[in-house]
Formats: sequence, C-alpha cells, structure tokens
Amino acid sequence: MRSWLMSSIGKKQVVAVSGLLLILFLIAHLAGNLLIYRGPEAINIYSHTLHSFGLFIRLAEFGLAAIFLIHIAFTAMVVIDNKKARPIGYIGGQPYKERSLATRLMPYTGTILLIYVITHLFDFTLANSNGPGAFVNGQNLGLYGLIVNAFANPYEVLWYVVAMAAVGFHLVHAIQSVCQTFGLNHPVVTPVLKKISFVLGVLISVSFASIPIYVWLFISTAH
Amino acid sequence: MKETLNLTLKVWRQKNANTPGKFETYEANNIDVHASFLEMLDVVNEGLALKGIDPISFDHDCREGICGACGAVVNGKPHGHLPKTTLCQLHMRHFKDNDVIVIEPFRSQGLPIVKDLMVDRSAFDRVIAAGGYVSVRTGSAQDANNLPVSKEDSDLAMDAAQCIGCAACVAACPNAAAMLFVSAKFSHLSLLPQGQVESKRRVKRMVYQMDKEGFGNCSNEYLCEAACPKGISVSNIARMNRAYFKSGV
Repeated sequence: MRSWLMSSIGKKQVVAVSGLLLILFLIAHLAGNLLIYRGPEAINIYSHTLHSFGLFIRLAEFGLAAIFLIHIAFTAMVVIDNKKARPIGYIGGQPYKERSLATRLMPYTGTILLIYVITHLFDFTLANSNGPGAFVNGQNLGLYGLIVNAFANPYEVLWYVVAMAAVGFHLVHAIQSVCQTFGLNHPVVTPVLKKISFVLGVLISVSFASIPIYVWLFISTAH
Repeated sequence: MKETLNLTLKVWRQKNANTPGKFETYEANNIDVHASFLEMLDVVNEGLALKGIDPISFDHDCREGICGACGAVVNGKPHGHLPKTTLCQLHMRHFKDNDVIVIEPFRSQGLPIVKDLMVDRSAFDRVIAAGGYVSVRTGSAQDANNLPVSKEDSDLAMDAAQCIGCAACVAACPNAAAMLFVSAKFSHLSLLPQGQVESKRRVKRMVYQMDKEGFGNCSNEYLCEAACPKGISVSNIARMNRAYFKSGV
C-alpha cells in the first residue's frame, strides 16, 4: 500500500480520486448556488438548512478541506518529480497540436483556483452573514445580501468569471484524465468520454460564472 | 524541385556527461534532398573532421527504422516533425532550402547524455530486467499454438510489441515520463496467456524501476503517442494504470 501511494502511478491515482471527489462537491455546490435565481428567501433558507446540520456539516467541511489539501499536496509532489525529471528543457520547435489548451493550462488554472478558493472563503464562507456586509438599503438580507454587495463591484465579478473559466479549463482536462489514470481507455468509449468531459467542464463553469454576472447586471445595480 | 539544400544547424555539443553543453551553429551546404537526416549529419561530420573539429556524435545502427538506436530532437520534436518516422527514415526532402534546424539530444534525468546527441538508454534495459520477461516455460512452436489466444488480444499484444525502445516517448513527454515505453513492454507480455502468470509482480517491479531511474509522472498529455515512430497507443498506459491499481491496493 505504501509503495503504491509513493509510486508515480499511485500519486497520480490519489490526485485523480481527490479530484473526482472535488468535482462531485462542485456539482452539489452549484445546485445550491443556483437557488439565487429563485430569490433571497431560497438561498438564505438553503444556507440556514446547511448550517442547522451543525456537527455533521463541520465534519463535511473538514473532509472537503482534507480532500482539497490532499489534491494539492500530491499534485505538488508530482510537479516536483517532473521538474527533476528534465533539468534542461528544449529550445527548438512548435508545440504539438495533440496537446490541448486545457492540458497546457493545468498548472496555471490550478494555481488560480487555489488563490480563488482562499478569497472565496473570505468573501462568503467565513464572512458574517449578519454583519454590515449583509445589509442592502438598510435591510439585513443575510447571505443573499453578502452576495449582492460582493457582486456590486465589477472587479469582483471579473475575478469570479476568470476563476470560473479556470474551473472550466481544469475540468475539461481533468474528467477524461481521471478515466485514463484509472485505466479506462477504449476505442469507442474514450472519444465519447472526452466529449462528456468537455461538455461537463463548460456547463459547470458557465453555470457558476452566470451567478456573479446575473447579480451584477440585474440585482446589485437595481438596489 | 531543387535537388540540394543549404541549411543552418544549431546542434547541442557536449563533451561528456560531466561537462556542461552548449549550442554550436554549423552550415550544411549542398545536402542532397534524398539523403536521410543521419546521412546529412554524416556529410556535416566529414566537413567538421576536415576542419579539425570533433564530429557530432549521434546514436545510430540499422538506419532502417527498426532498431530504435537513432533519435534526436529536431526542431522540438523527437525524430523530427514527420509522424511515425524514426530519425534515420526522415529525409531531407521534408525540409526547405535555408531552413534553420535545431538539433538537441533526448532530455531526461533517466537518459543521461553520453556525448553531444548520444544518450545512455540503459535505464530501459534495467526496467526490462526488472520484469519485462516471461519465466514460465512457453514451449516450442507447436506447444505455443496449443494455447488459444483471441485475435483481439493477439493484435493488441503485437501492436505493443512493436515498441523499439527508442525513448522518443520520454523525449516528447513534458514530464520526461517513460510510461509509454514501460506500458508497451508490460502490455505485450501481459495480454498473452504465457505472460499473465507474472503480471501482478511484473507491473510492480517495472513501475518501481521506472520511478527509481528518475523518469517523470504521466499527466495524460499524450505527446508520447504523437511522437512514437511505431504509433504505440496510450491505451497501453491505461492498461498498466489499471493493473498497477489492482496490484497495489
């Protein structure tokens, strides 16, 4: 078990499993977030319901943080190994067309997401949803208020859209990559999986990014 | 079409493994378009020798595209830009007059440079020695034919067995990973009944040795498949990943 975990393939499989779990979390998170389209009450009730689970939700948060850190730690180990494996690079030539944009951008989109997750936690998760940030026109609107105030700032909207584009690129490579890392490669199934990977990546990314844009255009400016 | 070419070569020169290397520029004039890339280097070397300059060292043997000895990175691509072609089968008609050609050795921690464009590929031998063999008695031809092998498995095994161990996959991989080579050697044995007995032990040992040699980790970019002169499929890597997961957990 230990030799598997520390081998090149084992480390990749840990990255793949943790990544897959993070994708499942993203889908659940997106489902919750989309309640914003049903108005202040829906999103606030959702938030209160989640918090009412108390210890259970704390454990879930702890588990999620652990998965996130495992994903980063094992990726870091893999990247360090890879840098050591080619101390001197090449100078000549054009890139291979086989290497997709999403694949080439993985280290950058990953880094953007790490920074994004920290800022995102401070924006909403760790922010006081009954504090001054939650007040819109003198009225305490809870989490909904926090969202409306945050996305009144166009730079904040832009940052969220950039980060969600990073999510999209990251997922387009990641989903099909998980299959390959666990040994699923089939002449008929793999091209379909690559298409599913692309569609799912774009769908999750666009759905998330639609929220700050919608709030900025139709809600924040209206207040 | 012009029958000869004048080219500028930027070639990596390195005296030995312990001396730092650098690029040198040479003119290659009146190169026959029907010459192979290695023959072009032969012509350049003759000129260098006449000037008293140490000729460019490069690996080569059969010059028929089947032995796996030759290989260098030409304009950023192992074995040059032509798909499914070894460097000895890349002909100068695929270049244009006055082209600048950058020639570099395969670069990987696992393939140390011996001199100029020559690399030491004995890491591959050690991976094979770790598990790339069958120790059960497989019998003579008649006995072997008594073992039924499906057409599909036989084809896949033969496809994997086409690997000539040239290391272009390592050179092309952004992480200098040797996964395509190791998985091809693993697959061609493990797909056949004679090789299945030791499959679990084989994958563990070969991957262990691969890691020990200092090759990188696969990040599913598939440049190995694109660079492979024999068109070895990355589905072999998936097969090895699957076997490794089953053997380790």
